[in-house]
Amino acid sequence: MHANGRLQDRLVSGFAYAFITLFALLCLYPLLLTLSVSFSSEQAIARSGYSIFPQDFSLDTYRYIFVNSGDRIARSYVVTIVVTIAGTLGALLLTSMVAYAISIKKLRYRNVIAFICNFTIIFSAGLIPWYIVSVNYYGLKNSMLALIVPSIFNVWNMFLLRTYFAHISPSLYEAAEVDGANHFTIYWRIALPLSKTALLTVGLMYALQYWNDWWHALIFINDRDLFPLQYFLYNILSNVNAISSGRIPSGASGSITLPAETVKMAVTIITIGPILFLYPFVQKYFVKGIMTGAVKE
Amino acid sequence: MIAAREMPETKKSRQGALHELKRHKILYLMCIPGLIILIMFCYVPFAGIWMAFTDFNVVDGIFGSKFVGLDNFKYFFTSSMGWKVTYNTLVINFFGIVLGIIFPITIAILLNEIRGKAFKKLTQSMMFFPYFISWVVVGAIIYGIFSTDVGVANGILAWFGIEPIRWYSEPKYWKEIIILANVWKWSGYNSIIYLAAMSNFDGSLYEAAKVDGANRLQQIMRLTVPMLKPTVIVLTLLSVGRIFYGDFGMIYGIVGNNPVLIDEVTVIDTYVYQSMRTLGFSYSTAIGLFQSVMGLILITLANSVAKKVNDGEGLF
Repeated sequence: MHANGRLQDRLVSGFAYAFITLFALLCLYPLLLTLSVSFSSEQAIARSGYSIFPQDFSLDTYRYIFVNSGDRIARSYVVTIVVTIAGTLGALLLTSMVAYAISIKKLRYRNVIAFICNFTIIFSAGLIPWYIVSVNYYGLKNSMLALIVPSIFNVWNMFLLRTYFAHISPSLYEAAEVDGANHFTIYWRIALPLSKTALLTVGLMYALQYWNDWWHALIFINDRDLFPLQYFLYNILSNVNAISSGRIPSGASGSITLPAETVKMAVTIITIGPILFLYPFVQKYFVKGIMTGAVKE
Repeated sequence: MIAAREMPETKKSRQGALHELKRHKILYLMCIPGLIILIMFCYVPFAGIWMAFTDFNVVDGIFGSKFVGLDNFKYFFTSSMGWKVTYNTLVINFFGIVLGIIFPITIAILLNEIRGKAFKKLTQSMMFFPYFISWVVVGAIIYGIFSTDVGVANGILAWFGIEPIRWYSEPKYWKEIIILANVWKWSGYNSIIYLAAMSNFDGSLYEAAKVDGANRLQQIMRLTVPMLKPTVIVLTLLSVGRIFYGDFGMIYGIVGNNPVLIDEVTVIDTYVYQSMRTLGFSYSTAIGLFQSVMGLILITLANSVAKKVNDGEGLF
């Protein structure tokens, strides 16, 4: 019985290692594939298809993109960076102020405010009324604000922050109140500094949301100069033909094959860019956020 | 339902309310910017719902256009497209929910069985990666796998001596592809939720089970799985409450506006967007309203079920 049990334990553990290894590889495999294709030569890809190892390693694709649409990518990068930074900072400010206010138990109407927030989760007017109001009354068509403002207040993130604020001992606030500090001062000088990790967590969540957003661009933006990175990539992917018929770089002969396959993958890598380098270091904050959100107060 | 629980004790005098607002003026002022955003983008659009009952034209405006009653809804339910997009939404979400429970739980349980800390850390961050990329990037990846001439899938088929498949002109594969892509993207993320729940389990139960001679598999089946039940129920109810909502980004990011594939996988959300351009604002508002109302009903039901099984604790 005991020996049998131990054998079973070893089987379970062996299965666990095998399954987890396999799925973990499956999760990273597409990234490696994309990277390898972007560093391959177009001819090699056409000859033998996508592969996890670069074939005829070359930087031609990146050079091609840089020469042909370097300006455009640079502009999209600027749009995305501006939107991400402004959006994240603004969202953190708006969200944390409401979260702080309704974390104060003395505030009589905090439940009314919580309800106003909650209701937006359970019922909405739908895309069209939202779109018409945004375009006709708020003038968000082809405005960079359209990429920032509509998603600047996330109700889930607000409740997440409230959970953090609610854990701060009220005695810390009371001492400040006795000294005559008002609630904004307490929020700014005590609550925020005490919640650095929480703010970093929620801030990173907002930053990822802004960085990866292309839906608002699809809806609101026609002006190519305002395309964020992800929407730039979306356009390339959905206009595969357009890029293959694009201009041939000056000085190159007509016989050159346009690096369509490798271009798609290289642009993909360019748009993931910072995430690729940052995600190993920041993921622990996301884990923290998910865990806090999962375990309700 | 939430109203009853969350509204403060009423019937305080009007002066009391004013007094309260004055006393905590700064706290209420701090809520204003956030609430303005909600009012602008969630509450003001409610007025536009009226369009669903009119034949909207720009000249007459929302409230001047001709009232047509439920005609827009009738058109939606009598057209073949109405049922099709509802069906697509429910099917894609249903399998997304089922696989989105089974797979992440399996991952969480198995991760818990692994003793090597470094291995655990490394694999966990690898599995978390898909959460960080946008659906457009997922679309690019899927293209890399399923493109006809150079894709990985056809490479594998060729290796087995099977004729290549023109995936991008064969709609019948794409519901499955989208469901699997969704599971792939969210499994690492969702497994963290279950790991969080498991870290709160009482360790002494496992000690007692070990003393009684239970092996790992028995501990998993008799202790871990039953104790995960409340978490599973809450998460399932939350997703069932949202089963009428499709993921616009997922569908458009993966199939883009490929005319051959879109019909097979179009969901209510993408259909609203498409019909906005072709069939007019009133019709697409009506579809959106149908979706919102179904969502409201389901989330309310889910919330009351959650309260029953969770000792009065609702979903939000």
